[in-house]
Order: sequence, then C-alpha cells, then structure tokens
Amino acid sequence: MTQAIKIDNLKYNYNNDQVLFDGFNLTIDSGQWVALVGHNGSGKSTLAKLILGLIAANSGNIDVFGERLTVDTVHHVREQIGMVFQNPDNQFVGATVADDVAFGLENKQIPSVEMPRMIDEALSIVGMLDFKDREPHMLSGGQKQRVALASVLALQPKIIILDEATAMLDPDGRATIMHTLQDLKARFGHDITFVTITHDMDEAILADRVVVINDGQLILDGTPANVFSQYDVIHNNGLELPFAGELAEKLDAKPKSYLDERELIQWLSRLNK
Amino acid sequence: MAITFEQVNFSYGAGTTLAQRVLHDITVDMPTGKVTAIVGQTGSGKSTLIQHINGLLKPTSGQIRIDDFELTASTKEKELVNLRQKVGIVFQFPENQLFANTVLEDVMYAPLNFGATKDAAKLEAARALNRVGVSEDLWGKSPFELSGGQMRRVAMAGTLASNPSVVVMDEPAAGLDPKGQTELLSIVLELKKLGKTIIFISHQMDHVVAVADQVVVMNEGRVVAKETPRQLFNRELSWFQTMKLDLPKAGQLAEKLKDKGVTLSRRPLDLGELAELINQEVGHE
Ligand SMILES: Nc1ncnc2c1ncn2[C@@H]1O[C@H](COP(=O)(O)OP(=O)(O)OP(=O)(O)O)[C@@H](O)[C@H]1O
Ligand SMILES: Nc1ncnc2c1ncn2[C@@H]1O[C@H](COP(=O)(O)OP(=O)(O)OP(=O)(O)O)[C@@H](O)[C@H]1O
Ligand SMILES: [Mg+2]
Ligand SMILES: [Mg+2]
Repeated sequence: MTQAIKIDNLKYNYNNDQVLFDGFNLTIDSGQWVALVGHNGSGKSTLAKLILGLIAANSGNIDVFGERLTVDTVHHVREQIGMVFQNPDNQFVGATVADDVAFGLENKQIPSVEMPRMIDEALSIVGMLDFKDREPHMLSGGQKQRVALASVLALQPKIIILDEATAMLDPDGRATIMHTLQDLKARFGHDITFVTITHDMDEAILADRVVVINDGQLILDGTPANVFSQYDVIHNNGLELPFAGELAEKLDAKPKSYLDERELIQWLSRLNK
Repeated sequence: MAITFEQVNFSYGAGTTLAQRVLHDITVDMPTGKVTAIVGQTGSGKSTLIQHINGLLKPTSGQIRIDDFELTASTKEKELVNLRQKVGIVFQFPENQLFANTVLEDVMYAPLNFGATKDAAKLEAARALNRVGVSEDLWGKSPFELSGGQMRRVAMAGTLASNPSVVVMDEPAAGLDPKGQTELLSIVLELKKLGKTIIFISHQMDHVVAVADQVVVMNEGRVVAKETPRQLFNRELSWFQTMKLDLPKAGQLAEKLKDKGVTLSRRPLDLGELAELINQEVGHE
C-alpha cells in the first residue's frame, strides 16, 4: 500500500506559543478518506498547513508519496495536493471566478486549449457556471466556498484537503460536495486521497477513517464505527456523535453496539415487527 | 426594538450598468424580544438583507424601520451613528471584523467607543470572552493568530460586549465545534431572555428549531415563507426540495423510518422529540 502522507515525530509551535505538536505521528494510505476532527484550536488547520509546507515543522518529517518535504521539494509536494482553506477569501487570486479556476491550471501547465472545458466542468459540478464572469469577492459566503472547491477539483490533485470547506454551504451544496467526493473515490480508487476537516460528525462518518485530535495529540483513530463507539471520549473532547448515535443514546431500548444511521433504522424497523 | 422591512428592493451597484438586483419587494417584520431565523439557499440574499438592519447597505427603494428610526435610500451616513450602537452584527466571515492588536483590545473596542471607562470596558470584555469560551491565555494574542473557531468566538464576544438591543448573527455556528455550537444556542436563548431582538441566519435547521420563534425563508431574493418552526417543518417534502432546504435531522430520520414502514404519529422537530416518539410508539404493540 502506498503511503500518501506520512507524518513522523512532528514537533511544532507558533512563535512564542506553547508546544502544539510534540512528537505527532500519522500515516494516511493512498486511497483513504480521513476525517480529521477535534475541538476549536486543537491543531487541525495547523496540521494541514504543515503538510502543505506553508509553515515548517520545528523537527520531525513529513513525507508525501515517499518524498520528504523540504525547502527543495515543497513545490513538487504542493502540486499534488489541492487544499480548500477555512476562509475562502484567503485563497482567491483571479479577477473573475473563471480566472480563479484557471490560475491553478496555468500553474500546472495545462494546454490552454483544454482549459475552458476543464473550468466549465469544475464550475458546473459546484453549480457556479452562471457566475463565471463575476468577481470572487462579490459573491455570497456559500458561493465563495463553491468556487474555492471548483478551483481544487479542476486540478484533479492526488490528495485533496478540505478545511471546513462545507461550513457555509446550504444543505444542497453540502450534499453535492459529499457526492462529488464519493464519485471521485469510486472513479480513482487508490489514486485519490481525502483529508476532510469538519465539525459535522454526520459528514465525518462518510470517511473510511476518523482521526480525533486534541491540543495536538491524537486521541482516537479508527473506522467511524470504532471511533463513534467511544461516547464519553468524544463528548469529553468537545465533540458529539453523528445524529443516529446521539439518538441511540436516548432510546429506552438501546442497540448493543454502535450503529450508523442505516443500521439503526433497520434495527428500529425490526423492533417494530 | 422591532424591525420592519417595507417593500424593500436592493441592487448591488445600483445606478450602474452592472446593477445586480438582489432583494425583491421584501416586506417582513422581526418582532422585539423574539428570535427570527433566516434560512434559504446559497445566494438567496440573507446576508444582503441583514446588512440593511444597521445601514451598512441602504435600500434602493422601500424602507426599513428599526424602532423609531427609518432607513431609506436617502439616509445619510452620519444619521447612522446611533443605529450602529443599537445593532450588533456578527458577520459571516469573522476575520473581516477583527482588527485590534490583541484579543482583549478587540473586544474592549465597542464598549470604549460607546463611552465606557477603561475598567468597565475590560470587565465587559472579560465577561463576554468567558461567555463564548475563549480561554484567558488567548486574550493577549493577536486576533489573527487564532484558529478559525477561536476567531468566530472573539468576533461574537466583540458584539456581546457592546450590549446591543438588536443582535444579528450571520451563520454564527460555522466553524464552531459541536460543544461551541451548543453553547452558541444557549447564548442566543439567554439574549432573548434579556429582551433583545435577535436575527439568526443558519443553514442548520436543527439550530433554527432550537432557538427560533419565527423562520423567514428566502428564495432568490424574495421572502417565500414566514412562520413558526413547527408550521414550517410540517410542510410537504416537495416544498423543501424546491427551496433546497432540509428538514431538521430528527424529521429526516423520521422520514427514513417511514420509508421502512415505521410511521410515527407526528414529524418530530428535534432529537428529544424523536427519541420520545420512538420510545412511546416503536416496538410496544
Ligand atoms: N498564525 C498563528 N499564530 C499563532 N498561533 C496560532 C496561529 N494559528 C493558530 N494558532 C494557534 O494554534 C492552535 C491550533 O490552531 P488551529 O488553527 O490549528 O486549530 P483548529 O483545530 O484548526 O481549530 P478550529 O476548529 O477552530 O479551526 C490554536 O490554539 C491557535 O490559537
Ligand atoms: N458585494 C457584492 N456585489 C455584487 N453582488 C453581490 C455582492 N455580495 C453578494 N452579491 C450577490 O447577491 C446575491 C445574494 O448574496 P448574499 O450574500 O446576500 O446571499 P446569502 O443568502 O447570504 O448566501 P450564503 O448562504 O451563501 O451566504 C448573490 O447572488 C451574490 O452573488
Ligand atoms: Mg481550523
Ligand atoms: Mg451569507
């Protein structure tokens, strides 16, 4: 199994701040979808920025597809990762929505004859084709997030990191993005890796693996079913279970083990027979 | 302070060739001491609408009454000073409203600006920061050196510290962790108890159910519904699809149960109600 991201004994702190990561380890296999969750300030965005080489670790190593992240390799590493930042305003570079998507493609030296089609394709996935000629800064919050996503999708990177990229989307937009990720996974299998940072546990549950961090420390790591069986640990870390999990906790007749929504519904319908 | 929109139209770039008509003939009221939730799909005009409440945007035509103040296209900037003190807005992107050197100074700014002494402002700021869960070791940091959720909390503290009569929150839960979201909802209810008029924009129907007295639904720049959460979420499913809205999670799960042959006696609004219905009605025949 190829390792998409390998973080080994990572140490990091912001300027004069206390130590955030102190010997952090995490390996993500190629083809995996990892949901990264944790309370506010636990270090999720910092970790994403470290992987992208936007900030440099104090010590420890980060490898992306076996390539060690250093000053010399940082550009090559970044080319393989598409990241949507927590605040889309920080990421717009183009004067129009279309330019913004084009920017990344130009950087990747995509032949210019192919670009219009790729731009249109990405914008239509997120439902923003009609806004092609608009200025990114003059869009609604959710529209900005959609454009930021389109810019990353257009690049077809091998690793996609979404930092709360659905936080301001309407229900329809959220569903579209989640379906898009599922489609990409079905299409590219082991060749596409996702890291989705989210506070929405019903989104986290769609991943193959859920990683919970707290103040730079890895607290839980496993399948969604595994992680969300830990009711107390999850709650003590400022989190909650997916809706179906919270519901099961409140039932008089409780299922014996953690069930996801589909399983819980099935269990309840059998109970009713 | 009651807020009334009367036949409000608004275009970005009004009078230019690039004019974009965004709000169409909005007539709606947001009563004193109540929580009005505003929902609607991306780009439906929610943020544009609420920026009229403190005169950041002025209607192209029509008027907005905020207590005894009347905002129209011809209202002058200097007439707005008073209004700005009474209306506090937590914006959709918190970064855009942070500016001071430290977190504490940022939150102290409004009370100082409105005439509080330095000590009083500090007290207000400390109280607000504690209320939103910003720990004291962050108070001396630059507000730009915070995590996304921490920034959101500081922005919220800034608004609370100025003690406005009207509190407007534009997707305040975005970026907050689950515990922070629960806290936010309890802050909203607390503000309501204090008699404040609250406007709460959200894409999360569960949050709407938890706090709202009335829900205003926007679609393509128009108000298409205004009713209580109970009324709203009892509408036909097809209506929600057209408006690209969701039921609250409890209602969604109840609908899925129904598809599997488990029909509850009513459509629940929240987790508690759903659990209660299941406990009473499922498996006890
Ligand atoms: N630029 C910065 N300078 C100094 N400290 C920072 C900076 N950015 C973040 N921090 C601090 O580092 C810690 C981790 O922040 P980070 O942004 O990684 O958290 P997060 O898990 O992404 O949180 P959130 O859910 O709120 O987005 C926080 O305590 C934060 O205050
Ligand atoms: N500064 C601006 N200039 C021109 N058009 C704008 C500007 N800001 C927003 N718009 C447009 O006005 C419409 C309404 O935007 P608004 O921000 O009010 O939507 P919203 O309901 O808050 O959406 P969201 O849920 O995505 O935040 C959108 O189509 C948007 O593109
Ligand atoms: Mg973050
Ligand atoms: Mg908005």
